[in-house]
Amino acid sequence: MSSSHSDKTLAQSPVDKETIRELADLLKETELSEIEVETEEFKIRVARTMGAGAPVHYAPLPVASAPAPAETAAADIAGDSGSHPGAVTSPMVGTVYTSPEPGAQPFVQVGDQVATGDTLLIVEAMKTMNPILAPTSGTVKQILIEDAQPVEFGETLIVIE
Amino acid sequence: MFEKVLIANRGEIALRIQRACAELGIATVAVHSTADADAMHVRLADESVCIGPAPASESYLNIPSIISAAEITGADAIHPGYGFLSENANFVSIVEEHDITFIGPKAEHIKVMGDKIAAKQTVKELGIPVVPGSDGAVSDAAAAAEIADEIGYPVLVKAAAGGGGRGMKVARSRDELDHAVSTARAESKAAFGDDALYLERYLDKPRHIEIQVLGDAHGNAIHLGERDCSLQRRHQKVLEESPSPAITAEERSRIGETVATAVRNLGYLGAGTVEFLYEDGEFFFIEMNTRLQVEHPVTEMVTGIDLVREQIRIAAGEPLSITQQDVKLSGHAIECRINAEHPETFRPSPGTITDFHPPGGLGVRIDSAAYSGYRIPPYYDSMIGKLIVYGDDRQECMMRLQRALREFVVGGIDTTIPLFGRLVRETDVQTGEYHIHWLEQFLGLH
Repeated sequence: MSSSHSDKTLAQSPVDKETIRELADLLKETELSEIEVETEEFKIRVARTMGAGAPVHYAPLPVASAPAPAETAAADIAGDSGSHPGAVTSPMVGTVYTSPEPGAQPFVQVGDQVATGDTLLIVEAMKTMNPILAPTSGTVKQILIEDAQPVEFGETLIVIE
Repeated sequence: MFEKVLIANRGEIALRIQRACAELGIATVAVHSTADADAMHVRLADESVCIGPAPASESYLNIPSIISAAEITGADAIHPGYGFLSENANFVSIVEEHDITFIGPKAEHIKVMGDKIAAKQTVKELGIPVVPGSDGAVSDAAAAAEIADEIGYPVLVKAAAGGGGRGMKVARSRDELDHAVSTARAESKAAFGDDALYLERYLDKPRHIEIQVLGDAHGNAIHLGERDCSLQRRHQKVLEESPSPAITAEERSRIGETVATAVRNLGYLGAGTVEFLYEDGEFFFIEMNTRLQVEHPVTEMVTGIDLVREQIRIAAGEPLSITQQDVKLSGHAIECRINAEHPETFRPSPGTITDFHPPGGLGVRIDSAAYSGYRIPPYYDSMIGKLIVYGDDRQECMMRLQRALREFVVGGIDTTIPLFGRLVRETDVQTGEYHIHWLEQFLGLH
């Protein structure tokens, strides 16, 4: 069985695979969405996919970046929650806010009980604020977005059980 | 120059725009419906935003969604492609209100050319020859009858809000006129929400010849020669070529100059196409498309000019990269629009493309977003790609086209590739002696 092109490239490249793995772990730990490292020899950008559509950026320099570790992290989350019956997805493109105004308490936190119709988040689109309401009652199991993060149509925001 | 362009379209044209932006070093944002999440241009773009569910009205025509996507990604310009919102003057205004550059003409020009009656009036004043017809809308059947007598039968009853070949009915005599008027009115109302009609002389065997123009913000306007798009089925172009086998260099120069002057005087910005019916040495204006056209590649092949790049440069405020003197038509190019349809019944064939092996070699270009394993969504038009061939002359081009068609493999769905195989063997296509009714007559007989 022949190795894939990307395996060959990594094996031949001067980039330490360990570095890439470290960056990916750092990403998860710190909950950043992207980290970029640049030296004279190479530039690597490791990013979490934000939703179903956003592709990972490939550095233009000869050394291939390895998005695989970061993608797995994102895939775990997306894979689990996208099909979850309690997944609340964004009905529009915009910016999601977790609290009614900057500095205020968030609408909900993981572990909260919510009733149908409770406001979970706000998505701002073109200067209008659109409340996202709980479609069912239950417990907030996961909050997959961060305050002031851009979201696309269909992106999973919160999972309620 | 722009830093980030949002591509507000899909399919092959979105890929075309992606390529032009990439070559200019401009970052891209691909907005797409849920059905297009696996589209080739979405995979190639720097960023992508899902803007809605499959239906175009909720995604590609969803202005708030597209504007939101531009805002959250920080795009500084939007390229609308063709179709969808490309000729929506309202969209242009909204884009500009949000301090984003629309890569295309000004809203006022889109508006005037979108109203077929106003368009005709405007170009007439600019010196472009028009088809004899009612000067404006016809109010009722009686007025229509009077005008038809003046213009002479046969007449074509056309929807003012129509375009792209829709909303037209022929009346060969006074007897047929009332029915044509009432049908056209009803259809126009249903399709365009507007029932204003106008009349034109119906030309018997004209050719469809269109002139490509470019205008910049510095008062420069040039023409890039013509495309002959006479082979049509149900008013949809099937095969296009440049130069037209029917016109002389003198005719080209004359009509080209007339059109370029008009575009200059109009202050038109960007790429546009002025469409004519040509019969017996005369050109008759039918409409102006204020956007990039599907068949733009044939002009690119014979002029060597990247039209999408020019559009982007013009929108960024740069002057045209060439003057009229620099424009030289060299060689011959033919484009075939490949649809996912049965080559004889034209029944749409959505589904999965199991094998996609496009032809290659010197002078062969494929503009397609299809790939092996691609699932064609059933929600949009059926064109899966364009095969464009170039040769030093028309003969070489036709030989190359025949060769390329034989190599083209698309498995898993029906395509119209076999239709083109038949067409290139027809004498009339080989000699270039065809007109706008030719293809339908050919299909009717076979």
